[in-house]
Amino acid sequence: MDINPKRPLDARTFRAKLEGQSGKQYWRSLEELADTPEFREFLFDEVPQHTRSFDIQGMDRRRFLTLAGASLALAGLSGCRWLPAKKVVPAAEQSEDRVISIANIYATSVIEHGLATGVWVTSNEGRPTRIEGNPEHPASLGSNSSTVQATLLDLYDPDRSQTVSNLGSISNWPAFLETMRSALAETKDGTGLRILTETVTSPTLTHQIKALLAKYPGAKWHQYEPCGRDNVVNGAKAAFGQPVNTLYDFSKADRILSLDADFLLSMPGHIRYSRDFAVKRRVRSEEISAEQPKKLEMSRFYMVESCPSITGTMADHRLPLRASQVEALARAVAGALGVDAGAAALPAGVPQPWFDAMIADLKTANGASIVLTGDHQPPAVHVLCHAINAALGNVGKTVNYTDPVESQPVDQLASLRQLVDDHKIDGAVKILLILGGNPVYNAPVDLEFGHLLDTTRLTAHLSMHEDETSARCQWHLPEAHALEAWSDARAYDGTLSIVQPLIAPLYEGAHSTLELVSALTGPMPNSYDLVYDYWTAQKPAPDFEKWWQKSLHDGVIKNSAFPTKAFPLNPAAAKATVTPAIDDKGLELLLLPDPTVRDGRFANNGWMQELPKPLTKLTWDNAALMSQATAEKLGLAPSIGGLTVADEKVVEFVIGGRKLKIPVLALPGHPDDAVTIHLGYGRTHVGKIGTGTGFNGYLLCTTAAPYFAGGMKATNTGDTYPLAHTRSHHSMEGRDILMEGTLAEFLLHPEFAKTEATTTPEIPVDDKQIEPAESGKGKRLSLYDAQDHEYKTDENAFAYSWGLSIDNNVCIGCNACVTACQNENNIPIVGKDQVQRGREMHWIRIDRYYRGPISNPHTFFEPVTCMHCENAPCEPVCPVAATVHSMEGLNQMVYNRCVGTRYCSNNCPYKVRRFNFYKYTAGQPDPDKLNGNNDSLVLQLLSNPDVTVRGRGVMEKCSYCVQRINHARTTAKKEGRAIKDGEVVTACQQSCPTQAIVFGDIADKTTLVSKLKALPTDYTMLGELNTRPRTSYLARLRNPNPNIEADVKNGPDTPVVE
Amino acid sequence: MDIEETTQPDGHQEDLISDSMLPGKGHDYKNLGDRIAALVLQQRVHPYAWLVTFGIGFLLLNVMLMSITYLLYKGIGIFGVNVPAGWGLDIINFVWWIGIGHAGTLISAILLLLKQRWRSSINRFAEAMTLFAVACAGIYPLLHTGRPWNAYWLLPLGPNILGLWPQFRSPLLWDVFAVSTYATVSALFWYVGLIPDLAMLRDKTTSKPLKVIFGLGALGWRGASRHWARYETAYMVLAGISAPLVLSVHTIVSFDFAVGIVPGWHTTIFPPYFVAGAVYAGFAMVLTVGIPIRAWYGLKDMITMTHIDWMAKIMLTTGLIVFYGYILEIFFGWYSGDKYEWAMILNRFRGPYWLTYWALLTCNGIIPQLLWSAKVRRNLVAVFLISQTVSIGMWLERFVIIPVSLHRDYIPSSWGYYTPSFWDWSMFIGTMGFFIVLMFGFMRVLPIINMFEMKELLFGIKHKHGNDVPDRDRTHTIEVTPPVDEHHD
Repeated sequence: MDINPKRPLDARTFRAKLEGQSGKQYWRSLEELADTPEFREFLFDEVPQHTRSFDIQGMDRRRFLTLAGASLALAGLSGCRWLPAKKVVPAAEQSEDRVISIANIYATSVIEHGLATGVWVTSNEGRPTRIEGNPEHPASLGSNSSTVQATLLDLYDPDRSQTVSNLGSISNWPAFLETMRSALAETKDGTGLRILTETVTSPTLTHQIKALLAKYPGAKWHQYEPCGRDNVVNGAKAAFGQPVNTLYDFSKADRILSLDADFLLSMPGHIRYSRDFAVKRRVRSEEISAEQPKKLEMSRFYMVESCPSITGTMADHRLPLRASQVEALARAVAGALGVDAGAAALPAGVPQPWFDAMIADLKTANGASIVLTGDHQPPAVHVLCHAINAALGNVGKTVNYTDPVESQPVDQLASLRQLVDDHKIDGAVKILLILGGNPVYNAPVDLEFGHLLDTTRLTAHLSMHEDETSARCQWHLPEAHALEAWSDARAYDGTLSIVQPLIAPLYEGAHSTLELVSALTGPMPNSYDLVYDYWTAQKPAPDFEKWWQKSLHDGVIKNSAFPTKAFPLNPAAAKATVTPAIDDKGLELLLLPDPTVRDGRFANNGWMQELPKPLTKLTWDNAALMSQATAEKLGLAPSIGGLTVADEKVVEFVIGGRKLKIPVLALPGHPDDAVTIHLGYGRTHVGKIGTGTGFNGYLLCTTAAPYFAGGMKATNTGDTYPLAHTRSHHSMEGRDILMEGTLAEFLLHPEFAKTEATTTPEIPVDDKQIEPAESGKGKRLSLYDAQDHEYKTDENAFAYSWGLSIDNNVCIGCNACVTACQNENNIPIVGKDQVQRGREMHWIRIDRYYRGPISNPHTFFEPVTCMHCENAPCEPVCPVAATVHSMEGLNQMVYNRCVGTRYCSNNCPYKVRRFNFYKYTAGQPDPDKLNGNNDSLVLQLLSNPDVTVRGRGVMEKCSYCVQRINHARTTAKKEGRAIKDGEVVTACQQSCPTQAIVFGDIADKTTLVSKLKALPTDYTMLGELNTRPRTSYLARLRNPNPNIEADVKNGPDTPVVE
Repeated sequence: MDIEETTQPDGHQEDLISDSMLPGKGHDYKNLGDRIAALVLQQRVHPYAWLVTFGIGFLLLNVMLMSITYLLYKGIGIFGVNVPAGWGLDIINFVWWIGIGHAGTLISAILLLLKQRWRSSINRFAEAMTLFAVACAGIYPLLHTGRPWNAYWLLPLGPNILGLWPQFRSPLLWDVFAVSTYATVSALFWYVGLIPDLAMLRDKTTSKPLKVIFGLGALGWRGASRHWARYETAYMVLAGISAPLVLSVHTIVSFDFAVGIVPGWHTTIFPPYFVAGAVYAGFAMVLTVGIPIRAWYGLKDMITMTHIDWMAKIMLTTGLIVFYGYILEIFFGWYSGDKYEWAMILNRFRGPYWLTYWALLTCNGIIPQLLWSAKVRRNLVAVFLISQTVSIGMWLERFVIIPVSLHRDYIPSSWGYYTPSFWDWSMFIGTMGFFIVLMFGFMRVLPIINMFEMKELLFGIKHKHGNDVPDRDRTHTIEVTPPVDEHHD
């Protein structure tokens, strides 16, 4: 094996090398000493698992035997791997802080769109197994979102790229860096070097990039990510002359008007906003009783939206409005509030009385209101909102301004366009380094970003997957996951966090953005050193080390949020900023990030793919959403109810000559004559999970209209496409399954939720006389003795009765609990095919019900866990006693004993039991080839060791996180005390952004859960069946404006626009 | 021939015997025995139709074996079951097959106890049918579980072996006892009834190996009076044990549903309505099998039009009970005032499976009303087709009860849909093959009509007409003793 003969090794190189060294430096060979790229290449080729595959077919016999012999010989040498020299702690004696089977928890942050969400990550023997919110972090306050939790699955994604590749062949970092450095050296001042990143808030990374730009002044830094905040930036620039960061304080807002802002799921800070929003929605006054109704306060929320969102479901008054109409409404609102915003007619669809009542209501709030708009609305609407908030006196109270959190807030689309234009005009781009992101897939199509890559001399892409962009770049560089490298970032309010890794990179080739940027100007560094050095320089204090340790421990740097500042509002801006009208012929297209896979970054994440979209309950696909009326007008009759597998009509949409074929789904409450397509699907270069899912909305996305555009045409192709829903039925069928009412109704009848259907029936008086109660409960519903489960005995001094209370009034349906449960309880994903067959495995599901007209119904969410019924119908029917009642009232599932008759599931009125029809848990299933044909060892690292992994043919269900109860019990027993209230926090409860879920001991009347269950709005689902469920609900309340209510014919609620 | 007259008891206990049960002149004991025995001893008499049917059955049996193999390899997911419909064709077919078996037990036990002598010509193959149907049924509860290899946990092997009892409150456990008892008693009953015939075959055959085989089966039967006396006692005792089983097995199977709280399951009408349905389906199957056999083997004088007529009447009766059940279900759904029950009824009427419900009513309720007409009852093609309809209807009934109730129960969010998969159907068709192979295999190795009881019947007919010459016959058939009419004792 000779080394590349083109560059012979010469003695001068060696000598120069040796002269520079001092101390004990060993070298193995002259080639190593020379440390040339050729040597590195040679070294790399020696590592067997990275060798390129041989073409066995085209190999002759001799070659084959040679290789076979060599392989045999080398197999004996396989033990000789280099171990990392650094930080190896031989665990001859177990250190005190590391006990096998006891998990450690570290604080770090998950970064989404550049913004940090503080998390606590549980590590079991070095494996991160669970992401929970960091209570100290302002963005999470201990809660969580689905996507934050899903990043953990990304870490273990078997489809992650593992090696550097160059033009499709396996390569290595030294080769890349050598190429890069020599190319850079050629440019001298870096002219032609372009760096494209996603949004950056990290001070260290910014510092590194700036250092690079300082060294190569000709280089340029661009930022782009889809569904970004360009409109926010541009709106702020128009209103204040500079980018600002707007923070809302929903915990102080009595009146909220959202002009198409999905602030509970999509906006930066949405987890915190959800928490704050719930504060004003929660009606939990313990003193209220049926005898003494008391006036209770609750915020009133008006929502105008272009596509139904979970935020809209929480509104007291909701209007569907096309995205392009929102500006006119905003202008009218501004005008009505005395802002000089220019004349604007109220858009069709907003009834004048509705508008007047709303304005009057906003005015009464007296500086305690919020008017906000969504990131996809044009800058003009943002300007108007700034002006409206100023006019309402909200600024400084509920609406605060700070400096922007982005290190360099730019109009990202303009930044990307500039990159492309520079290249188009004079070929200015020579070296393009793309750090994260996937612009080939998600840049507006008219930019033809792929073409830019094809014609640039040197292109490299750092990313976790070999995606669409990697495929068009010369070099692909595997990126380290956020849990594998050090970094830092700011939260939505500017709060800084140090991001610390939990695990060494799973694949040795993976490096972080930070490391790569730094390596361009020096040796490949360690991300720890970079972050540490940066902060040492920033905080040159004697107690730096203490500060550093504390920051790491807390996961948040105290008092680092940006201070609130007053920015002078340009009074002319509201009138001056006007968005040109869009083509109002044909359909209006709206492109939004998907509620689960977001902009496409979670397309290969099984949890996100199988997570039912909050409103459509669609999994594994996206669809063109439109109103029923529009669908009918187009001659389509999409199903909105019926079967779990719905074959939907595929429609070809044409806008500006661009075409997309996509199935259509009718979504109640969607504005007419508009179509919403969620982005993030239809990816071409993605792993096993994402392949073949959905349709690529980016194909309709242009720089002129990145969010919405008019004049779209639709033609029915006549084809159909099967969509997999986790539920198909929309109506409650008149059953008292989810109880809801208005605040006024509640004040009049506090116990309105306790109907015959939702309470355990009382026995008729006569029966009581005939058959005196034996159990002391005074009820005799059955010939059999009631199973009263008197848990408290002499032997069982700490007899707990576990129970759960779910507050439907603040459940926003965000799905965080579903992902939390999936993560905590090792719940497998099953693939589209199995979801179509009705076999999804989620232990907690969020039921969604509609009430009212299909054009604008009320939407309600109700999370359903196992009810842990006292009289559990599942228990007596199991022939092998695999599901039994515990001493603490849990309805337990004994997996080992289960033979899988499924009788328990049939007999469960709540249908919360899940069955392993196949061997789902063998690993991440390939949607096409299920049943554990592709066991993934990597994915096994994800498993929570406290929860059994269920095999084929076994029933499973929500256990109330019994493993967490047992952990708490162990601790309590060791300390010789009872488990304290709040000590056991179930995974769903922990993640819930609005704290709608509360778990605890219901036998103890002082616990929070007992108090909640004592509230007048408490009710049980199907209580009439005498199952006596342990999970109960608090009724949903709405606070409609009485002036609007009086106006409406269709019931005491939102006006119907038809 | 006036059936009414012949079935009227005339004052004192007497066997209900009519000429129409064995029509035609010139029957003698030897001839009768030889004709039936010939089906076993002279294999040439089997028609081409036998080969074709058996061939089809054999192919289908292999489909079943393949399905089972794939099921064990892959998991229960190959079926169409899901949440909410945890049971589908697996349990439908189980109940269907179990139901079919009931006619055999009814004919052999209850008609025996009621001294219905017309059972003689059909009881043997009806009993065999029972056994084979139970075998087909038995496959399902075992294989429909997620982990069939652990199914023995349902047996009360107790703390000494498993360290844990099964859960005695579960109807599925009651099923285990009910079905296994039923299978055991049916097998015993069938075998005990075969002993005199096996002895006759042993004596008739000239082949040495067959002599040994039949001889072993005959347990040393010599036709001695003592043998007959003991035989009669044993047979009556077994009939006594079997008779309640006719009622109990399907009652307990119905508990699988009635004990559950699923709307459409939780109803007290199930036990009688299931038993009636089982007998209904059972007689439909006896006719389905009996009509072709009768034609192919020239047994028209043994399985007579009277038999067909009477079986059709039983079908009509039980069909009416079942139909009454359907109507009451609707009534209860409305009268209970329970919104879930009423929603279930409406869902049957016009839900996604409305077709199956109306097809069920047509097949089980409407079409069999044709049997009111004696003309129809005596038209073989019509009876055969109505039997088919009833078989289909009874299958649909279980479909309506099981997945149609399950797919939409209490919580609308969890409503789903059940579509049987390819493997559901292949298993079902496969068990039919299994049944055909067993049934047609049985036809070649054992007498499908009870030889000695037919002789007994002949004796009865002759005795009734006063022209009985038993002695002459005895000389010819020394091995078989037509019993003294013990009922006069």
